[in-house]
Amino acid sequence: MPEGALSTTEGARRRVLVIDDASLVRIYYRDALERAGYEVHEVLNGIEALEFLLERSADLLVVDVNMPQMDGLTFLRALRRQAMPLASTPALVTSTEADGKDIAAALEAGANYYLVKPVAQEDLAACAELLCGAPA
Amino acid sequence: MPLIRKPAAPPAAQAAPAVDPLAGLAHPSSQVRWAAARIAADAPGGVEALSRALGAETDARVREAILTSLMRCKSPACVDAIVREIRHDDAGRRAAALDAMRAMPDAVAACAPALLRDPDSDVRLLACDLARLMPVQDATRLMCERLERDEHANVCAAALETLTEIGGPEAFASMEVCAARFSHDPFLGFALKAAARRMAPAGERP
Repeated sequence: MPEGALSTTEGARRRVLVIDDASLVRIYYRDALERAGYEVHEVLNGIEALEFLLERSADLLVVDVNMPQMDGLTFLRALRRQAMPLASTPALVTSTEADGKDIAAALEAGANYYLVKPVAQEDLAACAELLCGAPA
Repeated sequence: MPLIRKPAAPPAAQAAPAVDPLAGLAHPSSQVRWAAARIAADAPGGVEALSRALGAETDARVREAILTSLMRCKSPACVDAIVREIRHDDAGRRAAALDAMRAMPDAVAACAPALLRDPDSDVRLLACDLARLMPVQDATRLMCERLERDEHANVCAAALETLTEIGGPEAFASMEVCAARFSHDPFLGFALKAAARRMAPAGERP
């Protein structure tokens, strides 16, 4: 089992991995999630996210769609092919694309929920709690 | 130990069947299409055939070979073919096209201004990311133009992201215009303040 895999043990803060190539989006999400009480980590694309998750687990993934090297939906398909419990990590997709077909594609790839950017900080925190529980 | 004669080497034609580069791009076997994609650019009419094949190809490995061949050519027709992929519904195909464009900074400098005025806001947004490959003064001017005029908050956010890497205080006036235009957008309000802190001259950062 990867180091840190038992992040959901009692007393530990819930760990959120933000996967987005835009630095301003990452610090905005970090600000919202840390103020809500979550432990936040950041990576820039799907490849870095897979590398992170092979070493440490996360209680929630916040995933952008358009990213260099590995986009968010390719990452989610790869994630859902991994062994359990990693494959079942909840994933919130946030994207600028608001068409029904974009949302359907994300859900088909393995997203648990979809928010259209720009995302209000309180909506992000509420979704995080919905998908992985209260911060601690 | 007895001397054992080695069998004669098979003829080259048996080891690696020759591939017709143009016909091969439409072959049912993805292996043949992949091999054709690697050599088609050098054949007469190859660039046009590669451009057509890129739009129709469903195998990711073959698409990658087509993109690599088109990237090597760098002709306007090749760039047009790659730019078309930026409009594709499939996120993976968009990402591959953008990665290909990042390897062609001269082509980006030529086509980015038009992409930044594209009617499709998703294309303008992705073009903001490519603009960081342009000469700094040109990219800064184009990003400031987006901040002042673009009707989509997400395009402005992408322009701002690029400015945090390449821009400086010369962009502050455009950022103020953007802040006024999107005063009710919580993300842009946060991002404009964060960007201004990052872009301020070293001695003036809070």
